Amino acid sequence: MLVIVIGGGRTGAQLARALLKQDHEVHIVDNRKDVLSRIHREMPTESIFEGDPVDPSVLERAGIREANVVAACTTDDATNLVLCFLARTQYQVRRTIARVNNPRDAWMFGEMFHVDVSLNQAEILAHLIEEEMSMGDMMTLLKLRRGNYSLVEEKIPVGAPAIGVAIKDLGLPDHCVIAAIIRKGEVMTPRGLAWFEAGDEVLAVTDPDGAHQLAKLLAAPKPTPQAHAQNHTRNGV
Amino acid sequence: MKVIVIGCGRVGADLAYRLYKRGHDVAIIDVDENSFNGLSPDFQGRFYEGDGMAQDVLHRAGIENCDTVCIVTNSDSVNLVIGHAVRTMYHVPNVITRNYDAHNRSLFEAFNLQCISASSWAAQRLEELVYHTEIRTVFSAGNGEVEIYEVTVPPAWNDQTIETLVGCPDCVIVSLARSGTAFLPNLHTVLKTGDVIYISATLDGVEGLRVRITKRPEEV
Repeated sequence: MLVIVIGGGRTGAQLARALLKQDHEVHIVDNRKDVLSRIHREMPTESIFEGDPVDPSVLERAGIREANVVAACTTDDATNLVLCFLARTQYQVRRTIARVNNPRDAWMFGEMFHVDVSLNQAEILAHLIEEEMSMGDMMTLLKLRRGNYSLVEEKIPVGAPAIGVAIKDLGLPDHCVIAAIIRKGEVMTPRGLAWFEAGDEVLAVTDPDGAHQLAKLLAAPKPTPQAHAQNHTRNGV
Repeated sequence: MKVIVIGCGRVGADLAYRLYKRGHDVAIIDVDENSFNGLSPDFQGRFYEGDGMAQDVLHRAGIENCDTVCIVTNSDSVNLVIGHAVRTMYHVPNVITRNYDAHNRSLFEAFNLQCISASSWAAQRLEELVYHTEIRTVFSAGNGEVEIYEVTVPPAWNDQTIETLVGCPDCVIVSLARSGTAFLPNLHTVLKTGDVIYISATLDGVEGLRVRITKRPEEV
């Protein structure tokens, strides 16, 4: 597969290296001298194309006509949008991916400019941090592209209310599906009659509401004030 | 008319002021508040400090019910993106953009956005003045693909038909002014020294005319 990566900064170069490792053909475009000299040390010369990213002749030299994917990773949102638009309307590229630098520009990254996938690093991070803060030990592994679903993981602590109850009787919310249970390193397919044990790692596909209810079922019981005091003393020592 | 001007550099400031003077409701947007210093002190339109690509800034400036948006920043990518976005999302009836770097001209065509390439337009005017004073542009259609020219007939072409001087597929005769009175000539009209012919021509057409006008009729 031929992938054109435009912008050889940290994001673009990292992407190009990963794709090269998977034996894809990668062409990376940039016109900044310092960036070019850095990527020349890290990547084969035939993968690097020097020139103004929005110059059609540069894009054509980099093979945009034959490209399967264009990834617009420059640090300028307007440039990334123009690139996706050109890739689709002028060169019929099948898939376009763009990096969002400023979350305030995110409203334009979509069908309007023929952006198939937009990567908004700041927003992803903000969401993750927000979720991590509100969900205790539950970890978001993956945000699904469509809808508002995530793949989450949680390890079941001793004393969690869900232990020993059949999954079908847990009263899980509609928008929450248990995808897998990892017990002692083995993956188990969860059936309705299966139940959780302490130490299980649970993978679930869920929306934010489901995640909150699941977090309650899988969390350790709140320490009593006495237990809390003991902990405190122990930590103090 | 409600007009939003995005970019308050030399072009934007001048444009906003002209529109304001004509009595239009003008809002001007720029990321740098210092750029508003470039506006004439008696400009009474609205200023918005902010990024013209940000939706809240566009809303505050009144994008939802404006008649015209002029995007004249010094970044072609920004001009293209805002132009396409306000046309697609807000259905602004009249969107005009500035092409800053002439090398990017083809991008404006790809987006099908109306644009003015100020630097190449000025260069073209200057080039004309360098060559000839007999032929002057009086009106540019589009970006100068077709223009209306004013041609002063030199003494060498006295008593020749208009066809021998101007007749070619890339030139259309618009009118002829003689001693201050204009009329519609035909190809057989006989020219007099000092006649002013108005023609509409492509760049090729006017180039041929330039070559002919410097020669004598018998050399053509």
